[in-house]
Amino acid sequence: MAERLLNDSVIGQVKQVFQNLKNPVEVIFFEAQEGCDYCADTRQLLEEVTQISDLLTFSAHDIQQDAELTQLLGVDKTPGFVVVGKEGPQRLDYGIRFSGIPAGHEFSSLIHTLLLVSNRDSGLDQKTRNFLAGLKEPVHLQVFVTPT
Amino acid sequence: MALESPLVISEMVEASEFPELSDRFNVSGVPQTTINAGAGTVVGGVPAERLADEIDKALARKK
Repeated sequence: MAERLLNDSVIGQVKQVFQNLKNPVEVIFFEAQEGCDYCADTRQLLEEVTQISDLLTFSAHDIQQDAELTQLLGVDKTPGFVVVGKEGPQRLDYGIRFSGIPAGHEFSSLIHTLLLVSNRDSGLDQKTRNFLAGLKEPVHLQVFVTPT
Repeated sequence: MALESPLVISEMVEASEFPELSDRFNVSGVPQTTINAGAGTVVGGVPAERLADEIDKALARKK
């Protein structure tokens, strides 16, 4: 394996945050054999993060070879990954996707997302929760971000 | 938001890795949130309530 991406100080901080994890979470990662500059780094980053807590698991899939799972989860980019809750063998897909490497600024978004999914709680205010509960049509939000 | 509704998919997109998509939605500043492939756009980080309003407007616009 290549040199570690996360140093001891970062791992220590993440470990502290992960003390608040409640339920199991799986990171389902998709890669491509060609034309994916950030696949290797993203995979390594996710492997290192999910190793920090026993409540986190990681699985890697090929976007073409694992077409069934790719379609089921609606993944269309690499590197891409889905953060799901786990209840025994069952995956609870809340519709949370990442496309591209969650580095820099986005590293904290990743950690925050793992926490939210583990706790099954969005932390949103009641008004927004009511609005979301009342939705009748699909909503696809794409939040464009950069690592710096 | 995705946690609160089975109808919501929330995707974080690293803009520089997917330039075609960023160009398509004219991403100039980040974060920028695109609702249903361009039916709505929110530039900057906004409170949840404001984003909810924009989702509401985007859904209404489509009809």
